[in-house]
Amino acid sequence: MARPNGDEERIVSDARAEILGRIERALRTGRIPDAAAADGLARDSSPERRTPAAQPDTARALQTSDGDRFIVEARALGAEVFVEWSADAVRDRLGTLTAGKRVLAWNPDRLPFKCGDLLRGAVLGAAPRAEQARAEVGVTGCHGAIAETGSLALISGPGCSRTVSLLPPVHIALVRRTDLVSSMGEFFAARADAMAQAANCTFVTGPSRTADIELSLTIGVHGPGKVIIILGP
Amino acid sequence: MTFAARARDAIGNHQLHVALDRTTATFGTRRFAAIASLDHFETVRDRARAAKMHVLRTLGDSLQRFEQQLIANGVQVHWAENGDAANRIIVEIATGAGVRRVAKSKSMVSEETHLNHALEAAGIAVIETDLGEYIVQLAKDRPSHIIAPIVHMTREQVGRVMTDTLAVPYSDDTQTLAGYARERLREEFLQADMGLSGVNFGVVENGTICLATNEGNGRMITTLPRVHVALMGIEKLVPTMADLDRLLKLLARSATGQKLTVYTTLLRGPRRQGDDCGPEELHVVLLDNGRTLMLAGETAEILGCIRCGACLNACPVYRSVGGHAYGDTYPGPVGAIVTPGLRGIDKFAELPGASSLCGACRDVCPVRLDIPRMLLTLRHEAVERTPQPFALRMGLRAFAQIATRPPLYRRAMSLMRLLLRSRARDGWIHKAPGLASGWTAFRELRAPAAQSFEAQWRARTATKSGS
Repeated sequence: MARPNGDEERIVSDARAEILGRIERALRTGRIPDAAAADGLARDSSPERRTPAAQPDTARALQTSDGDRFIVEARALGAEVFVEWSADAVRDRLGTLTAGKRVLAWNPDRLPFKCGDLLRGAVLGAAPRAEQARAEVGVTGCHGAIAETGSLALISGPGCSRTVSLLPPVHIALVRRTDLVSSMGEFFAARADAMAQAANCTFVTGPSRTADIELSLTIGVHGPGKVIIILGP
Repeated sequence: MTFAARARDAIGNHQLHVALDRTTATFGTRRFAAIASLDHFETVRDRARAAKMHVLRTLGDSLQRFEQQLIANGVQVHWAENGDAANRIIVEIATGAGVRRVAKSKSMVSEETHLNHALEAAGIAVIETDLGEYIVQLAKDRPSHIIAPIVHMTREQVGRVMTDTLAVPYSDDTQTLAGYARERLREEFLQADMGLSGVNFGVVENGTICLATNEGNGRMITTLPRVHVALMGIEKLVPTMADLDRLLKLLARSATGQKLTVYTTLLRGPRRQGDDCGPEELHVVLLDNGRTLMLAGETAEILGCIRCGACLNACPVYRSVGGHAYGDTYPGPVGAIVTPGLRGIDKFAELPGASSLCGACRDVCPVRLDIPRMLLTLRHEAVERTPQPFALRMGLRAFAQIATRPPLYRRAMSLMRLLLRSRARDGWIHKAPGLASGWTAFRELRAPAAQSFEAQWRARTATKSGS
């Protein structure tokens, strides 16, 4: 990028000073309601507590576990969920699903249940884009599985390329029971450090979709049209 | 063309009505079901509103803290006083980085600044990648809804646009049409040198940029091109991650009735060491463009808007006239406040009038913006600034004279009662005299009672005390 000369530099900083000056003046006259309440609530960072009058959430009332809730929510979104009880069963399932397919995957050491061993021929995130774009299936682990919304949390980093869950038409995510958290708020609190280290954290909530044409649900616009979750032990 | 003229055209368009009815009703029902799935919805709403109002009250400090965090994250920050300045900055970033192709995800702010024109004028190809916006671009049309840009088009119209512009076989199957877009745009994502996005929320405490999309285009353009520019209004901040969590709970539910959009992307800077993808440069452009003017006035509250579109779907006026009638980037109740705020009340004096003040917008607003109150304020302002006709001014003055003198008022009202009752048939007035004829042009007026309420009340209390 060309270095700005003195004049341009001045214009740039002028815009900043000008806007901040305008804001300072505006705040003297502007009508922003609920001031006291707003500041009070904004300072109070405690989580929402259920008031006695509030309707109990059905799933919670039934003491549903995060695992069950996650499965129900993910399936409601149109994701396919397989529940496996051993690492061997996860690998078998993954083997069946990827047999004969061109696979793009996170680096082997990033995949749980030793699934990396199974995908020796897979294209990795460091491969040329064109090669990645030809993959039929993307295989990832995950950094969190949000029960409340059926979402997969994926944090970018070495070996965990964002393209894997994005370019192929099918995304297979390997989820460990220990990845489960109840809500996004809980995930933010638990993984704050990991998120701060990474350039990107994406929550994937079901397959890519649009309803732009007559509100009719259309699956698989740009991202994967099929999300398969293998929930292991 | 005035709002009234555009509205009249829209009301005569049957196809538009079918499309609007279907969409707004569906969105409304889905929203209702979705908020039922949220524990303590009203508390979350209060907190979310508090967070947005808090940001506005501390906007200068919040922006500076946000900027510091962005810089610490390796983001390059730019400030733009108006749309032209923002466009200039973005064109400079593009030319500086040797960019030839820009892929855009949906951004209302870029519509506001007419960024596409500016990029094209600089010889840079720009393509919209949100399905709705892509079709808008192909059809050389304008978006008509904040989150569903082509709600005004039927699938047949979309099919014809694609056949005409892309030379693909005609289809009215939405899956096929989306397939055409997927195929064309996939190439664009892989070829683009620069991705351009808006911002749903900027988190002050750590400089996180949050984008919410359903199709995946937002992820594509922030992952594949080597430069990413995010253009945001200075008001799009939230204080903390906890606030972001609350607002995300509300945004998708209010917009489409989803619990969460399919892709919620949190960006913390350009690609890090060891990353295989992600932009090498990440720029954030902070745009004023009239926002500080709004902040200084009676409608400052509207800057808390999170652009979910719920007020559009709830508004009986929007549901009848659609988005184009509002004449600018932001339609519906929120547009009736934001457009005069950004573009000046003089040019858009009638927009605040495009409302029945029924309050449905306030009821559905996830951050409880008092839209009717602001519409009234703007109407007042518009009336103050425009010279009113002589007859109207004199009429109102005469009315004030009468209305402030009770005996005179009582006598005038009994005269009016007599006059109206003489015109009534079967208890209804079908055609009122003089100035009042406007009222009865489209509806009937019930004939007044023989005696005023006051007279009836007096008679009643007299009988009671007598018995």
